[in-house]
Amino acid sequence: MSKPTTSRGESIARMLPALDYSKIGISILVMVFFVFFISPIWTGLVTAFKTTGAVTGTTPFVPPGTEGFTLEKWTTAIDYLSTGLINSFIMTIPSTILCVALGSTAAYGLTLVDWHRRARFAVLVLFMFGIFIPYQAVLVPLSDFWINIFAVDGTMAFLGDLPFFTERHSRLFAVTVTHVVYGIPICMLLFRGYYVALSDELVEAAKIDGASITSIYRDIVLPLSKPMIGVVFIYQFTMIWNEFLFSLTLIGSSNSPAATVTLVLSGLGSDLSGVDFGLRMAGAFVAALPTIIIYVLFAEQFAEGLASDN
Amino acid sequence: MAALSFNRTTKTFSDGNDEIVAVDELDLEIRDGEFLVLVGPSGCGKSTTLRMVAGLESPTGGTIVLGDREIQHLTPQERDIAMVFQSYALYPHMSVRGNMAYGLQKSTDLSDDEIDNRVRTAADTLDIVDLLDRKPGELSGGQQQRVALGRAIVRDPEVFLLDEPLANLDAKLRAQMRTELQQLQDELGTTTIYVTHDQTEAMSMSDRIAILNAGELQQVGTPLECYHQPENVFVAGFIGEPSMNFFDVTVADDRLVGDGFEVSLSEESRESVSGTEELVLGIRPEDVVITESTDEPDAFEASINVVEPYGDENAVHMQFADTTNDSDFVASIEGMRRLKEGETVGVSFPEESIHLFDAESGEALRNRRLEDEAHIENPEAV
Repeated sequence: MSKPTTSRGESIARMLPALDYSKIGISILVMVFFVFFISPIWTGLVTAFKTTGAVTGTTPFVPPGTEGFTLEKWTTAIDYLSTGLINSFIMTIPSTILCVALGSTAAYGLTLVDWHRRARFAVLVLFMFGIFIPYQAVLVPLSDFWINIFAVDGTMAFLGDLPFFTERHSRLFAVTVTHVVYGIPICMLLFRGYYVALSDELVEAAKIDGASITSIYRDIVLPLSKPMIGVVFIYQFTMIWNEFLFSLTLIGSSNSPAATVTLVLSGLGSDLSGVDFGLRMAGAFVAALPTIIIYVLFAEQFAEGLASDN
Repeated sequence: MAALSFNRTTKTFSDGNDEIVAVDELDLEIRDGEFLVLVGPSGCGKSTTLRMVAGLESPTGGTIVLGDREIQHLTPQERDIAMVFQSYALYPHMSVRGNMAYGLQKSTDLSDDEIDNRVRTAADTLDIVDLLDRKPGELSGGQQQRVALGRAIVRDPEVFLLDEPLANLDAKLRAQMRTELQQLQDELGTTTIYVTHDQTEAMSMSDRIAILNAGELQQVGTPLECYHQPENVFVAGFIGEPSMNFFDVTVADDRLVGDGFEVSLSEESRESVSGTEELVLGIRPEDVVITESTDEPDAFEASINVVEPYGDENAVHMQFADTTNDSDFVASIEGMRRLKEGETVGVSFPEESIHLFDAESGEALRNRRLEDEAHIENPEAV
């Protein structure tokens, strides 16, 4: 029998991690960032539940008391934004799906299909240009195109005969198509990174199995792209949903029946009597809700896609 | 099943302005039902050759004939071939059944029932029936290997192409699969081209070996032909493990003179090397004779550097004792025979087991004499 060579206190001290200053530093940094990011959201959220009086009467990040609490701002905001929300969905869903579909097929054609190497590179360069075009630079030609060259107001006038739609929705159609066009390059690039990493032997095995270019895409590449589709879908949905400049240029007014939610939001809660901060905050949260829901729905695929991309 | 032949088949890649010749005018015939192993160091053009048969690369010159039709311009699905890849390239989102059925669905008009039957039969042959509903990700390396083979045999092709299929398996499984693959090919009788860089695989599995180096065919022959009758220095050095020892020698009358040793030549050998003075002498490690003394003719002293025991044999790395020649050479001796590192022993290179090559061209001028020629000529009779 051997005796324990250390006392009880010593052995407990040994089990505790040593005081590590870098760990403490990291913890503090994380907390600082947490506060930095969370405080505006928190402040916005509590403001949305305050009456106009409470907004001016209380400190911004302090929750409202019982008399300062109201849900009225939320109901007003939902009421005010509902058409804009519907318009945004009408625009965002088809354009996102088209961006994903076209981006993925373009990336497939530029990576896994074997054709003229130089021509392939030239096309890739064109896509790269597409990514870096500043939106501000194309606003004038863009509106010129949709109003004069392809006069969307005239050609899409039949939209007025459909339920819910009005003639002004032709402009929403123009915004949708514009988003598809400007979204394809970045979607292509995201898919390309994924396809370049995909094993060549897989595609070659399918070729030897007798699959054509289209069936290789449909049977092999597309099912394997699922995680990336999640990533691109979330990314593109958020981009298009939050986009303001194209809507402003092509649809114009927040009073238009075709106005998207971002456009309506810009006019929400400000009139001659001043700014209604509670309403603006509630409106901002309502407008952001769909993107949050999309994140939650696709979170698993998103994480998987990001992990497999690296 | 059919024979396959390459006729002056060439493949060059252009890299900017440089032309890289991957396969240079390859002439090779693979007989109907033969198991041919293409072997060579990496970058020798063996995989490119295989990929040209598969239709994944198109030759820049010459023809490839399968049976009685030229196939070099056909798409892979028109060629009636099946290939097993080094990475197996199983479709990760499909079940084993789906993986095996995919080729039949794409390249035949068979009904679903017939496809299912054929998948089942192939799975039966490979003993993977109980894996049919699993995904490749759930299988071990060895099982994936079987599925990849299954995907090939279910097609019942004219030719199997195997690209280093055993490279990703551990040593024990690899040895087991070597035997199984051979038996399988025997049963099916399908013409097979097997690419590997591993000369042990080449020796043990093939009916014939084709050795490539730098895009050029070096020799085609049975494993024992290539081992005992190499046509040039490259083949001699590539086939065999540990590799053959080489020494620069010159002819002086009836003797070969190297740096640190001499070998007397017989009349016959002298004739075969006549006209050439600069030679390379090659001797396999197992042919190096180690004696206690240097009394025997042509014996010289060598000191032992390292002894690598393999159990059944020892590889003895040695150095010439009396000269400045510090080149190392290897002898294999029986496992039970003990030699100590640092010991000095007598060594001789028996004249009947040496190979002689032209120092300039590398071509074999004289190969080791074999007592049983018939044994080599027709190894299948054994």
